[in-house]
Amino acid sequence: MSGWLVEFFQIVFALALAPGLVGLIRWIKARLQSRLGAPPWQPYRELGKLFHKEAVVSKNASWIFRFAPYAVSASTLAIAFLVPVLVVPRRLDMVGDLFVVVYLLLLGTFWLALAGLDPGSAFGGMGSSREVTVAALAEPTTATAIFSLALGAGSTNLGAIVVAALNDPWTVLTPGHLLAFAALFIVAIAETGRLPVDNPSTHLELTMIHEAMILEYSGRYLALLEWASWLKLFVFLSLLANLFFPWGIATTLTPGALSWAIVTLLVKLALLAVVIAVMETRVAKLRLFRVPELLTASFVLALLAITSSFLLR
Amino acid sequence: MNSLFSQLAVLGSSLTLIFGLMLLWHRSVHAYTTAFAWQSVVLAGIVAVVAYFERDPELYFVAAMLLWLKAWFIPRLLRRMEEPLGAEQELQPYVNTATSLLISGLLVLFAYAVCRPLVALSHLPTRAGMPLALGLIFVSLFVIASRKKALTQVIGFLMLENGIALLAVLGTYGIPLVVEIGVFLDLLLGFMVMQLFVYRIHETFESIDVEQLGRLRH
Repeated sequence: MSGWLVEFFQIVFALALAPGLVGLIRWIKARLQSRLGAPPWQPYRELGKLFHKEAVVSKNASWIFRFAPYAVSASTLAIAFLVPVLVVPRRLDMVGDLFVVVYLLLLGTFWLALAGLDPGSAFGGMGSSREVTVAALAEPTTATAIFSLALGAGSTNLGAIVVAALNDPWTVLTPGHLLAFAALFIVAIAETGRLPVDNPSTHLELTMIHEAMILEYSGRYLALLEWASWLKLFVFLSLLANLFFPWGIATTLTPGALSWAIVTLLVKLALLAVVIAVMETRVAKLRLFRVPELLTASFVLALLAITSSFLLR
Repeated sequence: MNSLFSQLAVLGSSLTLIFGLMLLWHRSVHAYTTAFAWQSVVLAGIVAVVAYFERDPELYFVAAMLLWLKAWFIPRLLRRMEEPLGAEQELQPYVNTATSLLISGLLVLFAYAVCRPLVALSHLPTRAGMPLALGLIFVSLFVIASRKKALTQVIGFLMLENGIALLAVLGTYGIPLVVEIGVFLDLLLGFMVMQLFVYRIHETFESIDVEQLGRLRH
């Protein structure tokens, strides 16, 4: 019983913390650019505001437009149930492994792309076409990179991979792990629309990807989509943190282990947030036709990772 | 202890390979030089690690030489060449970036396949890095063959040399010091001759595009 309670707590924890994580990244970025910046809890206020506003829907939009926000947030929420956040192994590990996670990601992207096309605006179509291009190149890399870790652990189960890494701390330094980390980091940036691929802080720019698709949304629909994209960032970062630096994650359900897991996860996420903020301050957005090259590079890294973990076993 | 040794060796070899792959992704000579300098630092680090675990003081000397020559002196010369020549970027190589990245991935796979009997025969703790070193050699050869600018090809050659040095260190724990010094001298002279050539090509054609050399036939 307490196992399911902890499971429920992890989801609430992820949902509650995701806007804060994005706020933190924005705040660090503002500080690095010597701006004062909005406080880290600004995204909560944005959510509150959006949930109170009226949702305006174009009269050309079909049911897809109204359904997509729920589909996108449901698929992201489902991923949050499968990814190790605070405790391994998770109760729902038997329901899905890394392949389910990859396809759930793709499901969310699919609905978002449809929703971008649905109202028939020019921006939405452009955004959808770009998003699908990026997703088609990023998805195989995600699977390959995590699969190279799975080879070392002997299981495609995300929880089992983390447990295997906890039992043998030296595997973290193997080239397979490092290459997979680099590949997954690039993919995480591409999937969550961070800077070298997509600029998260612009609202109207010709080369935007994520913003272009949700341009027509307002009110609670927009709030759901934004929350889902923040949750996606949270899930990707905790996946990176827990797969590659698993120390501190709880393996038992004692209150001590759980609180220690919360503290270490917060520290790991804060470090990753600093890394992302520093990187977003240093690099400029890539030209769109350079994005496939970046993703090919990450695919090659994942390929090398899987080769070395397969052949050096 | 031994496992730490092999982990560090493999880690270093994969880093050198990644710096080699950067040549395919970047376009400016400045980034190439930085990648080469860092690759040489990592190479010197691997040599120092081998020296530490094998208690071979000669190798410390080799590592110091590597640091001085490849991580400081040659990058400095390259930086000096950047000013007159660096404005020309590798915009249209024979093979485009995405394809060359995929090809180099396949080349590394090929290196693994070729190295299998070698790795199986060897008992050295550093053997796992050998396919990566061979992969770096293949990737550098591919850079030389697929890029048009003379300066890119020179850096490809320097990385090829790094790959051979890495393979020598991982496979045999270093060649005798006299040979090593001879190799360094060779490299330095070779680099200077190539530098001279690049300048001459630039003077004759107002460009360092080696495709222009075809005009010499007339």
